[in-house]
Order: sequence, then structure tokens, then C-alpha cells
Amino acid sequence: MIGTGFILPIFIFFWIIGAVLIVKEQHIHRLLVTLGIFSCISFACYLLLASPDVAMAQAVISVFATITFIVAFEKYYKYADRSVIQAKPSMVKFLAPLCFCIVLAAMFIYFIPDYPFATALRDQYVSMFKTDIGGENAVTAIYLGYRLYDTVFEALILLVSIMAVIHLSHYKDLAAPRGMPSEIQNSDIAAVTIRLVCPIMMLLCIFLIANGHISPGGGFQGGVVAASLFVCRYMIHDLYDIPIVQVINFEKFIFVGIVLLGALFIYLSVQTYFPINQTAYLVAMNMLIGLKVACGFLIVFYRFIAFERR
Amino acid sequence: MSSNMLEIASVFMFFIGFYGVITSKSIIKSIVAISLMEAAVVVFFLSFGFIDGIMPPIGTDLVNVADPLPQALMITAIIIGVAVTAVNLTMMISLCRQFNTMDWDDVRKDTE
Repeated sequence: MIGTGFILPIFIFFWIIGAVLIVKEQHIHRLLVTLGIFSCISFACYLLLASPDVAMAQAVISVFATITFIVAFEKYYKYADRSVIQAKPSMVKFLAPLCFCIVLAAMFIYFIPDYPFATALRDQYVSMFKTDIGGENAVTAIYLGYRLYDTVFEALILLVSIMAVIHLSHYKDLAAPRGMPSEIQNSDIAAVTIRLVCPIMMLLCIFLIANGHISPGGGFQGGVVAASLFVCRYMIHDLYDIPIVQVINFEKFIFVGIVLLGALFIYLSVQTYFPINQTAYLVAMNMLIGLKVACGFLIVFYRFIAFERR
Repeated sequence: MSSNMLEIASVFMFFIGFYGVITSKSIIKSIVAISLMEAAVVVFFLSFGFIDGIMPPIGTDLVNVADPLPQALMITAIIIGVAVTAVNLTMMISLCRQFNTMDWDDVRKDTE
């Protein structure tokens, strides 16, 4: 990484400036644009911190999160006009939280440990992951092998949060009828452009999932790209016609599949009489996780679209 | 940029987000500030053991590479973060439907 030492402080500086701008922003449309710029700078910071996997996840997630914010905000624009322009806060309301935050931050900085970074675990992982788990990407090897429990519980938390979204947004008399066009007006330019972009996104999704064990990417990132494909489909066709109940059931079955495949891999790796194909395991697991994440975010987006349509 | 400087910057960043959470009047701005805190936590973890010229832990010839463990955990944290954001936005919409406002103060007045 040439020039990291020179570029990284600049990006960190703009990162903090972007955060201050977001906190000080009063207008909500400008707030969402600033959030997009902030996510872009975060992406660059993660990349310069030598973690392309995290940077890829941040890139695809920030696109999806911004779309979700815009949809949620557009639905409730009529309530927002009072909080867009806020009255200037009084001195006490401005200074007391500021002092509180500065004191807490100083305490945290004082207690940051300064003993040398222990490298034993890192060396162990980096030297052994090719024989233990397989593939060429140490990050994928960790979240699909050494730390499989974390991934399984992460998938469980995703499932639970999607249930929370469905439960909180359940209003029978306001439920959107299936197959009806939405109320959001789409422009023809956007529809044509998205038609051109969609095949490239599909290729990117397949590349990220199938190549995740040897290059930056993997199931999480590819799954979010696949969910974004469905968002694009909604923008082209403008229909609410995905059978969401089947998607929810399908997601639960995929979660069971992730647990069973992980357990099978752990069982087969501790015994010696049955050889396993590590690459096949990594690709299959990435595919399952990608499907799971894609289903989850598809449900979230469609619940937001269907929230209040009469 | 040393690892210690990065940690200090991310702690500052976290408390900028915290300030936004405790002072913002609009609910949607509080949710955005929570995502700022998540970004700060990610940089804090990625900066463990960071030195200039370190390489990503990907490829066949791995010497002088970054620690892959915090990276794997942070991918998980980012996905969980957006799930939390989605739940927060859903709760915000429910509140809006009930109290007809996006302002914390009005919600508080209505509940009293």
C-alpha cells in the first residue's frame, strides 16, 4: 500500500469533519446527502486500513442503508417539516452535553491500553488457515471456519431483527395489496439507466459470492448486492408483487441449512477417514449466507415500501 | 499514522455520534448518529496493530499482513448495524403513526 502513511490522516480528518457536519445539520435532505458522503469516506478509510473485505461490506451496505433512510423519510415527510428547521438551542442545552461528551472521551482516551500488540493469534491464523479451512482469504476463513459460531449467531440476530421489523410494521387495515403499482413516481431516465446497470450488478453479485474465498467479498457483501437488485427491480416495474410470506419461510429454511452445513464441516474436519473438499464448503457456505442476507434485506425493503399504502 | 492516533480519532468520533444522539431533536437524526457511532467502533477495531505499509490478509504469500480476526468480526458488526438501523426506522415510523410527529419533545409532551 503505497502512500498510506500520507493519505490516511487526510481521510481520517475529513471523516471527523463529515461526522461534525452530520451532527450539526438541520435540514434532513442535506443530512442524507452528507451521510452518503460520510459513508464514502468511511469506505476509503477501511480500505487504507488494509481491510478490503470490510470496505466492500461498507460500500454495499451504505447504498442499501441510504435507500432505506430515503424510503422511510419520504413516507413520513409530512411529519418532518417541524423538525427540519430547529430553533437554536439555548447555551445550557448546547454546552452541558458537550462537556459531558468531552469528559467521557478524555476518560476513554486516558484508559486506552498502550502495551504492545500481541501477534501470536494473528500469526497462528495467518500461517494455518490454508490447511485448516482452505481458500486464500484469511477473513473468509475466519468467519466460515474458526469463528463459525459468530456467523451463525449473526444470522440468527438478522432473522430476529427482520421479525421485529415485520412485527412492528404490521397493520392489517393498511396492508398493501399485492400486485398493485406503488405511489412513488418513477422517472423514465432512472428506469432505463437501471435496466442497463442491472446485468452488471448481477455479475458483481455472482463474482462476490463465488470468488469470496480467494478475493475480497463473500456471502454478506454479495447478498446485499442481490437485495439491491430487487430494489432496482422495484424501481423499474413499480409493482408490489413479491410473495413475501414465502420469502420469510425460505429464509428460515436457509438458516437451518447454514447451521447444518457448519455442523457437518466441523464434524468432518475433526475425523480423518472421510476427506472433505474445503473449497466446495467455502463456496456453498458463502452461497447460503448470501441467499440468507439477500432474503433478509429484501423483506426489510419491501416492508418499508408497503408500510403505508392505501 | 500510528495505531494509537487512530484509536484516539475513533474515540472522538464515537463521542461526536454520542453527542448527536443525546442532543438531536429529530428522531431520524438520532438514528443517523447511532450509525456514526457504529463507524467509529469499526475503525477502533481495525486500528489494532496497524502500522504503515501493512498488507491485506489475502493472497498466497502472506508476510506483514493485518490481523484478520477484527476484520471478520467487523463485517458481522456492519451487517448487524444496518439491521439495527432498519429496526430503529421501523420503530420511528410506528411512533410517527401514533403521535403524528418526528420530534422527541412532542412525543414526550404527548405521553405525559
